Amino acid sequence: MNLEAYQGLPSTVGGVGLDLVNAPMIRHWCEAMGDANPAYAAAPAAAIAPPAMLQAWTMGPSGRRAHFDALMRDLDAAGYASVVATDCEQQYARPLRIGERVLFDSDIESVSERKRTALGTGYFITTRTDVRAYDEAAGEKPDDATPVGSHRFRILKFTPAERRERPQAVDAGSLRPRPVVNRDNAGYWDGVAAGELRFQRCDDCATARFPWLPGCNACGSDRWHPEPASGDGEVYSKVVVHHPLPPAFGAKPYTVALVELAEGVRIVANVVGAEPEAVGIGMPVRLGFQRCDDDLLLPVFHPAGPDRLPPLRVPVTRTLIVAGAIASRDYQEVHHDAELARAKGAPDIFMNILTTNGLVGRYVTDWTGPDARVESIAIRLGVPAYPGDELQFSGEVSERGEGGRLVLAIRGTGRLGVHVSGTVKVRVKGASA
Amino acid sequence: MSLQRADTLGGRAAVVGIGATEFSKDSGRSELKLAVEAVHAALDDAGLAPGDVDGLVTFTMDTSPEITVAQAAGIGELSFFSRVHYGGGAACATVQQAAMAVATGVAEVVVCYRAFNERSGHRFGSGLQARQPSAEGVAMGWTMPPGLLTPASWVALHAARYLHTYGLSPDVFGHVAVADRRHAAANPAAYFYQRPITLADHAASRWIVEPLRLLDCCQETDGGQAVVVTSVERARDLRHAPAVIAAAAQGAGRAQEAMTSFYRDDLTGLPELGVVARQLWRGSGLGPADVDTAVLYDHFTPFVLMQLEEFGFCARGEAAAFAADGGLELGGRLPVNTHGGQLGEAYLHGMNGIAEAVRQLRGNSVNQVPDARTVLVTAGTGVPTSGLVLTADG
Repeated sequence: MNLEAYQGLPSTVGGVGLDLVNAPMIRHWCEAMGDANPAYAAAPAAAIAPPAMLQAWTMGPSGRRAHFDALMRDLDAAGYASVVATDCEQQYARPLRIGERVLFDSDIESVSERKRTALGTGYFITTRTDVRAYDEAAGEKPDDATPVGSHRFRILKFTPAERRERPQAVDAGSLRPRPVVNRDNAGYWDGVAAGELRFQRCDDCATARFPWLPGCNACGSDRWHPEPASGDGEVYSKVVVHHPLPPAFGAKPYTVALVELAEGVRIVANVVGAEPEAVGIGMPVRLGFQRCDDDLLLPVFHPAGPDRLPPLRVPVTRTLIVAGAIASRDYQEVHHDAELARAKGAPDIFMNILTTNGLVGRYVTDWTGPDARVESIAIRLGVPAYPGDELQFSGEVSERGEGGRLVLAIRGTGRLGVHVSGTVKVRVKGASA
Repeated sequence: MSLQRADTLGGRAAVVGIGATEFSKDSGRSELKLAVEAVHAALDDAGLAPGDVDGLVTFTMDTSPEITVAQAAGIGELSFFSRVHYGGGAACATVQQAAMAVATGVAEVVVCYRAFNERSGHRFGSGLQARQPSAEGVAMGWTMPPGLLTPASWVALHAARYLHTYGLSPDVFGHVAVADRRHAAANPAAYFYQRPITLADHAASRWIVEPLRLLDCCQETDGGQAVVVTSVERARDLRHAPAVIAAAAQGAGRAQEAMTSFYRDDLTGLPELGVVARQLWRGSGLGPADVDTAVLYDHFTPFVLMQLEEFGFCARGEAAAFAADGGLELGGRLPVNTHGGQLGEAYLHGMNGIAEAVRQLRGNSVNQVPDARTVLVTAGTGVPTSGLVLTADG
């Protein structure tokens, strides 16, 4: 098997998008991703496609693919039958608009040495696709096509490792201590389940209080109502727990903070999305929620401030995985058929990289607003996202450039660890974001 | 002792006997057996017999009930038995309970005891797993899911704010550890006998819960300690010079919790000990300048610094400077924990510190402060707590 020979060969020549860029596919994508960006839902003349859809317009059989198919056949025959996408790097020269036809060509950029990974042993294959488009609906011709962007995609073609070698899900014997709930504080935990952090406010003297108690320490009144916290706060005190380290808290020292909320009450919670040494007293933080196991959802705090994106929680449902796969026109069984996914060595179906990419794009434009121009999204996948998990996205501005250009570092974490880390370059107008 | 007015307890009762088992990491016997041995040792020290005892006081956390200790120790009828809550915060309050019983005639001879296998049996530092949904369980439960599970972790959250507020480094806690270990090094009963440490040792010890290092944490001990309380009049006829209870007090602050008082004021002090201090100074008619040596509860070093401030030995934020350069050591500004404290001698929930105060007044401590006539003793910190001023008779 001479894999090196494939390097530099074309993998798709003369590819033509099967459908014009169109509102229904954009709508399906936005519905699957939960992306409510109005820039994608405007009237056809004004609407743009979500940038992360770039690859979706190229999916399906088109163009001549002889070399790529031969490479896949070689690897299948050698026993490397499983495939998983690991990296996706997209650059966007301009937005795609409704009525445009995409044209694309790709090369096999590289084939790695044989690698051992947590998933198994195999080869990383990187392809690079250049995408152009012309406004066919307006009567333009293929020769009128101008560059839209490019797209580098890395897959691992592998033989699955024995199951025991793969990271296991949460061990039922090593769960975090459960909340202690009775009639006096049940309303607090009901709030957490509903995605709110609720404190109490006295009906008589209006004093806000936490922890929950059936009466007011300021005036003794037993009349009160719950209020949801705005979610803004700052670190009032902070420790790093080194010993003992119960298994449920992971193998590394973890941060516990006393957070003073904007409303003046304090709560003990983990600060996530930052290394322990990066969390300091006085640091602004923003409320999020973390799913620790099937039965435990906890309020947590993320570093906040002008350079931090507010956290976003995305429950990983079967619907999201399947709808995302279909919206991105990815019909690999592992993304919709649990039985076949198991036959290929996965414990269940898992999210495809294009859905993850779409969620990263959505997370960024939720923050920037619809006027921002996404210039690139480059992501690397870590642990898979299976049904029942919950992804928690966090991000920060790592660089501020000229003309409103921002470089954002984005991370999405599930209960097994980091699912995605990546860099998004975006240009924002004026003072937004 | 009242919050508003001076009480009439001072000068009525005295500690007349002290007794302990050996302090070990594995006692090899039951907690009840340790309690009975400690009670007997204290009575022997006082020159009293089990038949003289009509009152027993212990901690709610103790596993040996008063009636069972009495049963196994040869003690007969009891007219007074009582328990005090909140962990180590009970220590000095057991003596207050005894003194009140003696002063009112409810009992004549009361023994206060605490015994456990805290090292070979249930270790407080192993981490909480679950709590019942009582009011107490719920109060503790807020911090468990995010992973504050040990006393070290609760204290560290206060300590971090203290350091931040006063611009200090965790190294300042080393002054307390070095003083305790210097004193323990001269105490044959101490676990760390002949094993002093330096500030460099402290700074090099591993993190337990940052900003607390291993050498900021007290040891874990198997053992028992008891003290005998009776009236000052009767005390004068007994074997040793009495350690007079000049003042005794309990204290809980507003919005007090047990170890998790994170939701009130500025976290840089111990308001419950402020309540104790106000009562002790008023009740005894004494002040910080009158104290010859102090036994300050030291399960973790940061709270020793805060106690110096609460009792007015120095201003807020200045305890680290007060403790520096041997300030807490024999010959220093205020010799503290001359037995080695709970870091150096043994962790007996503060009861061994009361015994050391008595030894100082008798003049037979291994680290004797010359002519010590007034000793301050405190109980558990971070919890509702208690304190004593013990003075020499006459």
